Amino acid sequence: MRLPQFNYTGPDTLEKALDLLSAHAQDAKILAGGTDLLVRMKKGLIAPKFLISLKALNELSYIKKDKNAIRIGARTCLADIIASDLVQKEATALSTACEKVGSATIQHFRGTIGGNILQDNRCFHYNQSAFHRSGRQACHKDGGKICYARDESDRCNSTCQSDGATALMALGAKLVLVSKANERTVALTDFYTTDGIMPFAMEPQELLKEIVIPVEGGKSSYQRLAYRSAIDYPIVCAGVLLKASAKKDTIDDARIVVGAMGRSPLFLNQESSSLKGKLFTDTAAFQKAADSSMNSAATFAVHNVGATLEYRCAMVSEMVFRALQEAAAAASKA
Amino acid sequence: MEKLDLILNINNKPMDVRITPNDTLLEVLRDHLDFTGSKESCGEGVCGSCTVQLDGKPVRSCLTLALEAEGCNVKTVEGLADGDKLSPLQESFVNHGAVQCGFCTPGMLMTADALLQQNSNPDEDTIRKALSGNICRCTGYAKIVEAVAHTAHPDDQCPECASGIKSCCKTKE
Amino acid sequence: MNELKELSIVGKRIPKLDAAKKAMGRAEYIQDIKLPGMVYGKILYSKYAHANIVKIDTSRAKALPGVLCILTGDDVPKKMKMGFYKDNPPLKKGKVCSFRDEVAAVAATTPEIAKKALDMIEIQYEELPGIFDPEKAMQPDSPLVHDYHKTNVLNLPWKLHYGDVEKAEKESAFVVEERFTTQWVTHCCLGTSGAIALFDSNNNLTIHTNTQIPSLAQKDFLESLKAMGIENKRVRVIKPIIGGGFGSKLDSYAYEHVAILLAHACRRPVKIQFDRVEEFKATSTRQPTIIYIKQGCDKNGKLTFRDMRMVLDNGAYTSWGATTPSVMMMPITSLYRVENVRYEAKCVYTNNTYSQAFRGYGNPQATFAIESTLDMLAEKAGIDRVQIRRLNRNQPGDVTPQGFKISSCGLSECIDAVEKEMVINGPKEKGIGYGIASLIHVGGGARIYKSDGCGAILKMDDYGKVDIFTGGTDMGQGMDNITAQIVAEELGLLVEDINVVHSDTDVCPWDVGAHASRSTFVAGNAALGAAKKVKAVILEEAAKTFGVSPDQIVMKARNIFVPGDAEKTMTIDKLLRKVHFSPQGKMLMADYFYDPDNENMGKDMKGNMSVTYAFGAHGVKVKVDEETGKVTVLDYVAAHDVGRAINPLLLEGQVYGGVLMGLGYALTEEVVVRDGKTMNANFRDYKLFTAKDAIKIKAPVVETYDEFGPFGAKGIGEPGCVPTAPAIANAVYDAVGVRITTLPITPEKVLAALMEKKKNH
Repeated sequence: MRLPQFNYTGPDTLEKALDLLSAHAQDAKILAGGTDLLVRMKKGLIAPKFLISLKALNELSYIKKDKNAIRIGARTCLADIIASDLVQKEATALSTACEKVGSATIQHFRGTIGGNILQDNRCFHYNQSAFHRSGRQACHKDGGKICYARDESDRCNSTCQSDGATALMALGAKLVLVSKANERTVALTDFYTTDGIMPFAMEPQELLKEIVIPVEGGKSSYQRLAYRSAIDYPIVCAGVLLKASAKKDTIDDARIVVGAMGRSPLFLNQESSSLKGKLFTDTAAFQKAADSSMNSAATFAVHNVGATLEYRCAMVSEMVFRALQEAAAAASKA
Repeated sequence: MEKLDLILNINNKPMDVRITPNDTLLEVLRDHLDFTGSKESCGEGVCGSCTVQLDGKPVRSCLTLALEAEGCNVKTVEGLADGDKLSPLQESFVNHGAVQCGFCTPGMLMTADALLQQNSNPDEDTIRKALSGNICRCTGYAKIVEAVAHTAHPDDQCPECASGIKSCCKTKE
Repeated sequence: MNELKELSIVGKRIPKLDAAKKAMGRAEYIQDIKLPGMVYGKILYSKYAHANIVKIDTSRAKALPGVLCILTGDDVPKKMKMGFYKDNPPLKKGKVCSFRDEVAAVAATTPEIAKKALDMIEIQYEELPGIFDPEKAMQPDSPLVHDYHKTNVLNLPWKLHYGDVEKAEKESAFVVEERFTTQWVTHCCLGTSGAIALFDSNNNLTIHTNTQIPSLAQKDFLESLKAMGIENKRVRVIKPIIGGGFGSKLDSYAYEHVAILLAHACRRPVKIQFDRVEEFKATSTRQPTIIYIKQGCDKNGKLTFRDMRMVLDNGAYTSWGATTPSVMMMPITSLYRVENVRYEAKCVYTNNTYSQAFRGYGNPQATFAIESTLDMLAEKAGIDRVQIRRLNRNQPGDVTPQGFKISSCGLSECIDAVEKEMVINGPKEKGIGYGIASLIHVGGGARIYKSDGCGAILKMDDYGKVDIFTGGTDMGQGMDNITAQIVAEELGLLVEDINVVHSDTDVCPWDVGAHASRSTFVAGNAALGAAKKVKAVILEEAAKTFGVSPDQIVMKARNIFVPGDAEKTMTIDKLLRKVHFSPQGKMLMADYFYDPDNENMGKDMKGNMSVTYAFGAHGVKVKVDEETGKVTVLDYVAAHDVGRAINPLLLEGQVYGGVLMGLGYALTEEVVVRDGKTMNANFRDYKLFTAKDAIKIKAPVVETYDEFGPFGAKGIGEPGCVPTAPAIANAVYDAVGVRITTLPITPEKVLAALMEKKKNH
């Protein structure tokens, strides 16, 4: 499979990268590891005129702790995150999530955390060869006006299957976005549009620079379901964070996030709040929150990533429940 | 389209190539330089048949731009043997029956070789995890895993050695 | 049973002869071959499952610089049709009947130009309603896939009835009945398909192609040439090293015939190389089935009858998939002793993809239904699952209702071997289950074609080396080793003394192909026959030299000698030179054509299809996650009766690989087709097991020394994937009490069945 034609630049400073991005905004794409972008280009899903490679931008590859946060450079490869004791201890869900991405070979250095967060939404009607798509009307994401996954839908229902984003949203992470003119920090929960065509609320000239994970003593867990144990996207996943009260036996704060069920990871506010003040041993409360998560997530999902929709919905509850139990066990041990 | 002259360091030899930005490392290796050992099977980074090493790390050459390999040490399956003398890992693949149709073999070898450089003492789970991005349809992986384990831990209990036909356990000596 | 004699070369774990070359990246696959002047062909496929082609305009594409030629259905001679049913022209004209229909082809100087040209071919279609459900397509009012065929049901003879099934059913103490369905799965050869065709100045054709059947492909291509008006010319088929076969290359494909047409039209070598998407969409699958089965037993558990009916989705064209019932009949009539058997299969045209041969050739589908219902029957009759299998097992000397003569049979020993490794009926743990299933398969060739033969030509040189030209084909399974080991054993040489030349019709004799687990048995016997002929001459010459009778002489380890007489010994090469460089000297050569003594099926479907049969039993331990429905395989034992292991190393490779393929069939693999369109034509969405999903498999070998096999060997290529799915299904039932009747056994099916079960309690 040949890649379409493009021009390539590999800036060696962030400044140069942002200059280029600002100049070519609409026509350019950032190339990090290429495991998502190049596949989409090979399938003819996108054809950027410029690729701005982050290869030489070693300054975007780091994991560091500052005060109450872990800061991870967007170009940090997944293998480094998996190997980090700091992440393993303070942001367990992210460590687990990164380990599930692709396979060891992909995690090595092609797969980056920024690339994982920004991997495009998927749909089995859309992620097909050019020829497969050519025999029919184009869907929303392909520049057309229809949705094959949900009849008469006025917008794209492609699914966010990022392991990393789900875990990070549960951890309450923020993203630092930079452009030539500006730098801003946005909570991951506010980073998504409600349209699968361009699921990320970022400007074309913006670059994801850093991920900031608050560290406030909570315990997290990430659970996912896939058909096989490597090179597979999740068909449903869940990340949770539980913080203990001063007395250590009850939940002071909870965050429940469900992934692979909608256009973005879904932070479930109501279900999260329902756990406040509950005992870590209150599995009935966990089950109730998990079942409620299923109902909430079900309204967003469509049948477009392999397993049947009924099954994925049913599994939301199970993944959330398992994540809650694991996080609770860790929190009560701490 | 813009043509670029590039020097790629392949198996410790600098090679001149004229490429376009959209040439993948796999295409340059196979079509420009006739290093046909690396194979394309899926072309989208799933199966691992095209795995080569960049500075000792296994990467999918079908999803790596040739441009991005500039300045790296590229190692392909052709660079494993010393002339006609197989590397211990290759020898072990041969002797343990890890090669059937052979199409996945170059990629498997490059992934396994990178693992052993990084971890000289991998257990079975570690090996299976490292190889989980390389698909094989013939062997059921059993003999591939065995071959990698054997290279790391040669011992005289292996059935291949006991057969007396080839003493694969001596390949480490 | 004959005693197993320790041999020098046969029975040894000798690495695959071409393994080092492959491990060095020096093996040449079709992907790696470039010929001088070679250009690139590409095929345009249909955009509809069913449509009339109103108009094709190739003028813009033709004008593209670098385009050498464009062909459409109009350029294909009328008589050029593929498949045994002759319903499939390499380029379609007037109408397309499936998404994989080839409608146009381009040859150009680069693959990129060829692809660009395809995009510039303008085709106007008029869409027709599609037929995707074979049971609906069988209805008399269904629209037709091919108008000329009058009905969607193919005219094929798949029907048998032995004994009296209805009477036996009435007399049975226990009867079970179920409907099963099996899915499309595909071979997923890591090396994608490809061919290079070229004509010489006299219009003789050479084609380098990925095939498992050089001789039959040669016949197909000769027919194509004839249809093109090129008569009395030669066709040379050369098969390079191929990246896996598994049955996928048992029939010629459109791309091969298109390469021939393009090469003839532009007088250049034309290469067509598939990418992965094309490999998924335009090569054939395993035959999907809908199976209705009834089995009964008496009060002691002895099988009384088996009644099966199947509907096969034939797709829009016909290849070997439509003949898989001929092999399904084998387990149906002959797996376990059962006197009353009835079977009927209907192959039905639809607008789906068409199927091909695939490891096991129908046997996995039939065995899934038989072995699943056998467990149901055992439960109903209150008999232990292992016991019912022992009670009804096949035994040496049996003649089955279909007329199969069971020579050697190690089924009983295979069940023992499984039980030795795994306690099938052990104590119960929550969510853990055990399953067992057996198999019968052809092990001594399979007479599906007019001939089941294989030729071998052997010559020896002055240095004690052998060149053997065999009809057998290696595709990674190790036909080359088996041939070399057999010849080396017989002639007292070493494996490195034997050069096995195969897969080139100009130099190799005829063979029906690498299928039906027949290479070890048939090609092995052909090689052995040739070696024996040469050996007889050598012994005769040595007898003259040593002054003894030939039967006193032994050939071993490159030497020829009279045991116990230190004077009477010499190296074999020396003897060969002596024989050659004497007055009226001779070179040692021999040819041998081995056609096994098996039978074509008669009108009643009776006939001893194979000279001998392979048996096996698999045991599996699974864990079922009752919350997610996910099945994890914890332990697996695959015991096989192989007659004799010529090379245990390669034998294990066949079993391990077969079992893993079977596990994919059972659990994860499915070509998802929606209204005729393949939805998961890539390795991301078609779920092959990875090394992390796979487990270590135990593969005890049962050696029964078959009297007809070369050194006692039987075939083992396919059996590994035959009983895997029912073993898993039986284990899932054992674990959580739900019977899954549709493959693959996905988590959602298991969970849905669990919920249904809960609801009913």
